[in-house]
Formats: sequence, structure tokens, C-alpha cells
Amino acid sequence: MMTYIDYKNVVPKTIIALGVLLIALVPVLTANEATLSMLILSGIWSVVVMGFTLVLRAGQFSLGQAAFMAIGGYTSAILTVQMSWSFWPAFLMAGLVSGLVALLVGMVVLRVGGIYFSIITLALCEVVRIIAQQWESVTRGTRGLITSQPNPINLGFYEINFFINSVPYFYLTLGLVALTGLVFWRIGESRLGRTFAGVALNQVLAEHQGMYLMRYRVIAFTVAGVFTGLAGTLYAHFLTVLTPTMLGLWQSIQILIMSIVGGIGSLVGGPIVGSFILYIFGSYLTRLEIYGIQQLLFGAVVVLVLLFLPKGTGLVDLWGKFWTKVIWREKEFEMDEGEE
Amino acid sequence: MSFLELKKVTRTFGKLVALEDIDLKVEPGEILGVVGPNGSGKTTLINVISGYFRATRGEIYFMDRKISGQRPDRIAQAGIIRTFQSNVLYEGTTVIESMLISSYQQYKTSHWHSFFNTRTWKDENEEVVGRVIELIKLLDLLNDTFLPADGLSHGYQRLLGIAMAMISKPRILLLDEPTTGMNHEEAMFVVDKIKKINEQGVTVLIIEHNMKVLLNVATRVVVLNFGTKIAEGIPDEVMNRQEVIEAYLGTEMV
Repeated sequence: MMTYIDYKNVVPKTIIALGVLLIALVPVLTANEATLSMLILSGIWSVVVMGFTLVLRAGQFSLGQAAFMAIGGYTSAILTVQMSWSFWPAFLMAGLVSGLVALLVGMVVLRVGGIYFSIITLALCEVVRIIAQQWESVTRGTRGLITSQPNPINLGFYEINFFINSVPYFYLTLGLVALTGLVFWRIGESRLGRTFAGVALNQVLAEHQGMYLMRYRVIAFTVAGVFTGLAGTLYAHFLTVLTPTMLGLWQSIQILIMSIVGGIGSLVGGPIVGSFILYIFGSYLTRLEIYGIQQLLFGAVVVLVLLFLPKGTGLVDLWGKFWTKVIWREKEFEMDEGEE
Repeated sequence: MSFLELKKVTRTFGKLVALEDIDLKVEPGEILGVVGPNGSGKTTLINVISGYFRATRGEIYFMDRKISGQRPDRIAQAGIIRTFQSNVLYEGTTVIESMLISSYQQYKTSHWHSFFNTRTWKDENEEVVGRVIELIKLLDLLNDTFLPADGLSHGYQRLLGIAMAMISKPRILLLDEPTTGMNHEEAMFVVDKIKKINEQGVTVLIIEHNMKVLLNVATRVVVLNFGTKIAEGIPDEVMNRQEVIEAYLGTEMV
């Protein structure tokens, strides 16, 4: 067998590495608060969208991912504001609580799965909103909780101060995106991802091959719940306020749109690209100050994606296809056939 | 000790009795054929054994363990693997992907090993992939390894179905009409493969509508009609019995 450089693999990896490096260096290149804030928020959304995509990969369609953001956000907000915990333990606690809720809800609903799961998660969104609105003594109802960013950390030689500018928060978000990306990438590559595919693509067949459907659905939903909860915490503390209407049904739909625009073929790349593009698009539309324009145009985007890129193929998958089919005009699997 | 044993198994759908008081023993190492005209309860039999349907009454034992009433995945884990009457595949996957998804039961180490990509996982995976390739070769699917499974011809999709069941290393393989929609030559090809599988020590329960196929492959046959067992024995002898011919051709013809 001849040795050769696998350009097909090396070049995209280099592009990804350069992209990550470039994003990591943004605060050095520009201290523009607006740019940083945009990157932070789209980073937070990308974590949530990754969670949604993971659940989708296990064959379930969750319309309640924003509810887990709210659960995470409220957990840490209540812990820091009402019980004066410091940010970091509250942050971890938020992931834990959100994961636990996902586990419990999942164990009940994922026994049936399918459309029932979608409906229940949709209801979960409303339930969380109503609890946040009505439980005034804890959540301060519609007035919302005023959260704050983490206290400065003194490293001796350098003080990480979250109050001066958004740079530390940017790196905190980047860290969460990287961690989530790493975990989800490994899930996708591992046997777990393979089993998710089996469970999603044909549940009857999977079941008759020994896979316990509910177990894998619950695993996907819980893992997504943990990371969504963590992202929700970052969201609440970055915006310094959390009200019941901030994370509701529309946000859940937005997550879904981000996911299909990026494409569900990849667990990490698709969600990141999709949420960045749509977050930027969305914040531009908000600035136009036309009521309902965002919902309208997001709807149009969905229609366009479904028309031209059906079957869950999004921008990232399209790029992947373009890469293999157009840039590298190779006969596929030539190597493998040659070996025999 | 019995291998697979059905004791007075009944399955009803509303007022329709699909299976009635079926007693059946499958001996290790044999190829047991189940025949019967359309609607005689053949597929229901496999569905009940594999746990897709629960038996309304009666019990099923496998290696002296009661399996009736268990979930399909538990029954599959016990070593009873089935195929389906129609081509049931993992949508949108290639042959090798389908096989790798199906090899779920072949991995004994925990998911963590695979998540952290440890040596143990790599070794195990290599071994399983080797076995997958071996099986693909055995069933003549080698040229199609990287092709989309749903693009295969009907016959090869049936074979892939068998391969996907085989990779789980079943103790007993339940085949639901493996030769439907095939001409005689193709059917004989599949029969040959089933014999090869049996030679590897896998017990086979095969449901078949086509008598000719069954005569070629089965070491013992059971005839079902209207959900009851009407005959049992060596293929050539059973097929000449009066009641079997009547069940197949109708009384008037005889």
C-alpha cells in the first residue's frame, strides 16, 4: 500500500483549526463590545442547538430545548440572587438540575417517543414559563431576576474581571462551546452515536437487535439537557436579567430553525454555523424595529431550506458534499476495492 | 433441557385467533421450517417469539428461561434474532454502516471506552469490523459494501437483512420468508447461504410460503393452518400427507 497525505481529511481540519484560532483571537483584534456580545450570544445558542441536534439524532424531536435553558438560567439566577451562592457552583448546579429534569421527563415521555414527545416538550416550555411567572416569591414573577456576572478572579499576577469588558465572558463561552463540541463530537464518533443512529433510523429493527430504545433516547435527552442548562446560565448572567418570557416557545422554534439551517448531518459544525448565521441575521432584523419581521423572515428561511435542502441537509452538509464531490473529483472508495 | 419451547401459545387480535394453542419445540442445530397457506399465522408466530407481539396465552421458554412477555431487546439479547418479511433496513445507510449499527450486541465493553477511544475499544472494534467483513463475504455482499443499502436489488436487500441478523451471533435465527419475491435461482442461492449459516452452528427457524424452497433446506417442518399446527415431521413425508395437501389446495381439488 502506498502512503499518501490524506488531503481530503487534512485540509478541512486545518480550516477548522484556523477558524477556531481566529475566533479565539477576536478579543485581541477588536475590543468592540458589540462584536463580542454578538459572538457570545451566538456561541451560547450554538451549544443549545447542538443539544437539540443530538436529541434529533437519537430520533426525537424536542420542542422544549428553550425550557431547559430557562431551567438552567433560573436555577443559577435563584441560587446567586436569592441564596447568594457564587457564580461557579451555581453554574454547575444549573447544568445538574437541568439534566435531572431532562432525565425525569425523558424517563416518562420517551417510553413512547415520537410525536407525543414533541407535544410534551412543547408543553414543558409553557409549564416552565408559567411556574416562573407565578412563583413570585422565588422568581420575582414577570419583573424577572437581576443577575450579575461572576465576581473577579484574582490569579495573583492577573485579575480576571468580568465587569470591565466582555472579554472574560467571551472566553468562558468559548470554553463551553469547545467542551460541548468536544463531547458531542466524541459521541458522534463513538459507538453511542452509532446506536443513536440505529434507534433513530428504524426503531423496530433496532429493538429486535437488542437496543433498548428508551435508554438511548434518555441518554441523548439528558446529555442535551445538561449542556443546554449550562448555556442557559451563561445566557441569563450575560444579559443580567432573566424574565419568564425570554425563553419560551419562540426560542425553541428558533433553535429548531438554527439546527436545520446548519444541517443535522454534523453534530457540531452544523449547529455552530446555523446558530451564528441566524443569530446575526436575527439581531439585524431586530434593529429594523418592525414588529414580527423576525418570525416572518425566519419562516421564509425554513421554507427555503426545506425546498432546496431537504432531508436535514444544511449548509455544513452541503459544504461537505461540495468538498468531496466537486473539489476532490475522486472515485469514491477506490482504495477499498483495490485492496481486495 | 429444551432449547426453544412454546407451550400452548395463543395470540388473538380482537376476535381473530391468529395462533391457537401452539406447542412447538426447536432442537439445537436444526433448520425447522414452518409452512402454511396465507393467513395461517406464520408471521405471527415469529412476532410472538421475538416479542413484537405478546402472547395472549401460553408461555415461551428459551434455554429454560421464560421469555414470553419480555421486551424485544431482552429477547434479542438472549440470542433470538429475527428478520422481517419485507426489507427492513436502516434508512439512508450504506451496507457497512447498517452492519456496524447491527453489530450493537457484539461489543462487550462499556460505551465509555468508545467515548474516550481507548485501546480496549480500538481492539474490540477492529475485531468486530473483521467479523462484519467476514459475514459480508459469506453472503456475497462484498462488492456492495460501501453502497447505499436501499439501492441494492431486492434479493441482496434480503441477504443484507440476514447478514444484519447474523452479525448479532444469534443462538437461533428466525427467518421470515427469506425468499419472497425471488425467482427459483435466487431462492436457491439464499437457501445455500442459509445452509452455510446453519453449518456454523446456528439454529434456524424458517418461515416459508414456497414448499420447494423448504424441501431443500429444512431438516424438519411444521405445518400451520388457521393458527393451529396440523402436521409435523420430515419434509418429504409431511408434504404428502392428505391434510397438508388439503390445507394448501383446498378440499375440492383433492
